[in-house]
Amino acid sequence: MTRSQEQLNALSLSEAARLVKRKEVSPVELVDASLSRIAAVDDRLKAYISVFADEARQVAKAAEIMTMAGHDLGPLHGIPIALKDNVATKDTLTTAGSKILADWKPAHDAAIATRLRQAGAIFVGKLNMHEFAWGGTSDNPHYGAVRNPWNTEHFPAGSSGGSGAAVAARTCYGAIGTDTGGSIRLPSAINGIVGIRPTYGRVSNRGIIPLAWSMDTAGPMTRTVEDCALMFGTIAGHDPEDPTTARVTTCDYTASLDQGVRGLRIGVIPGYFFHHLQPPVLNAVKQALDTLVGLGAQIVDVDIENIHGNISAQLTIESAEPSTYHQRWLRERPDDYGADVRSLLEIGEMLLATHYLQAQRYRTLLRNEFMDAFRKVDVFICPTLPFTATKVGAMKVVIENGVEEDMLSAIMQYTGVPSLTGLPSLNVPCGFDPNGLPIGMQIIGKPFDEATLFRAGAAYQSVTDFHTKAPKL
Amino acid sequence: MPAKPYLSPEQVRELAHLADLPLARGREDVIMPTLAAWIDDANALSRKMSAAQHQELVPATVFTHAPANEAEQ
Repeated sequence: MTRSQEQLNALSLSEAARLVKRKEVSPVELVDASLSRIAAVDDRLKAYISVFADEARQVAKAAEIMTMAGHDLGPLHGIPIALKDNVATKDTLTTAGSKILADWKPAHDAAIATRLRQAGAIFVGKLNMHEFAWGGTSDNPHYGAVRNPWNTEHFPAGSSGGSGAAVAARTCYGAIGTDTGGSIRLPSAINGIVGIRPTYGRVSNRGIIPLAWSMDTAGPMTRTVEDCALMFGTIAGHDPEDPTTARVTTCDYTASLDQGVRGLRIGVIPGYFFHHLQPPVLNAVKQALDTLVGLGAQIVDVDIENIHGNISAQLTIESAEPSTYHQRWLRERPDDYGADVRSLLEIGEMLLATHYLQAQRYRTLLRNEFMDAFRKVDVFICPTLPFTATKVGAMKVVIENGVEEDMLSAIMQYTGVPSLTGLPSLNVPCGFDPNGLPIGMQIIGKPFDEATLFRAGAAYQSVTDFHTKAPKL
Repeated sequence: MPAKPYLSPEQVRELAHLADLPLARGREDVIMPTLAAWIDDANALSRKMSAAQHQELVPATVFTHAPANEAEQ
């Protein structure tokens, strides 16, 4: 069957992978479809910093030959993937969205890039992002402001905004993002796609430009939960050269996708999860919870006594650690930073050691309370963020009562909890606001229990169609 | 309730000096509002975490140790 490029772009990653293995679609066709789509839309989106057209076509041809010879490189054989540009890729530009690294070509792949290549993935490009991942808008002063494919006047969130936009716009079948305070989950929610922040230590950070060492993670961003589980399985697992990774066995994350949620205990914190958010977001998440109850899950009200105060702890840690990493550049090249990142780095230098350590003690307190709660629930579900996409360039947001709030603090209202506690968290699209902008819910799980997150998300997607919608570009 | 701290431009410059950060002229006005708000919130968290009931809590960041069996490497 001959498929048009539009039909090829519309395939999910899992569908494309199956068709490649059955020799019904060639990797060459998939790469051509991705590259054509990038050429057609990226002028408007600014999702890509680098596009590897020639290399991707060469690898696709080789992948096609191997397929026809009966050789299978792995779950991602022949699949076009893109990576956030803070992930090192050997001998190709890795800028971290910055002017300071504008000419850097690493000598080695990041561990995650190596694993993706070993699984057969074909890299079509490197993705735009908030400079050095230190921000939530992807309004990049050096490479252009990334735009939301659902409405290009609106932002894609961040810092993995290019990854979110690229996947939503069907320019690649999956992308890699990184998440410190929400940088996979936020653009996943805002762009209507799936993204997972893994358990801290589940995926290697080796070869990724750090933001905050004690909170950094990397993970896949895809159109469906099935795709995310498939891609996650290729990157998860201990890395002997990254001492922060855990010696915990992985599993086939696709194996339990069809097992449903009957009996799943979903924790909600009514005084925090359903407080201070835009009405369409509240309604969509509550409807999603009703859907899951209809599938046999049960809702359990939970009180986390010390959840308030998490944003201050988040900001203290997430500013002190990057300011430490950037000390030399901030003194040698301060004018080469964007205005917002420069300010945040300067601020992080002026917090006290006791502020930082009290925030780290707070993390222990919060994690203890969540681990205690996991005796009576299996997951928590809440909104991923309290608002839908704001206009590009906005530094303030109105959530309720017409009051403008600082974007950075507001955007972390819900994502800070997994970041501080090290717990895994999956964004799943769960609706649209009256202007057609996506809404996402966050499913938070026990340490190293990503399989349950995927199972819950897959069950939800088996009876809803939000993940099948595509922006009109 | 302790008074909300006010940061003067001079105080911001002193903080920068303590950090050996050569802050360009005028930068103190740019960063002062956010810095003051974050310090205020951080001090509130510090007061909370200093309470007697939290005395036993250790920071979440700890040293990692090599595995007992080096052959596992």
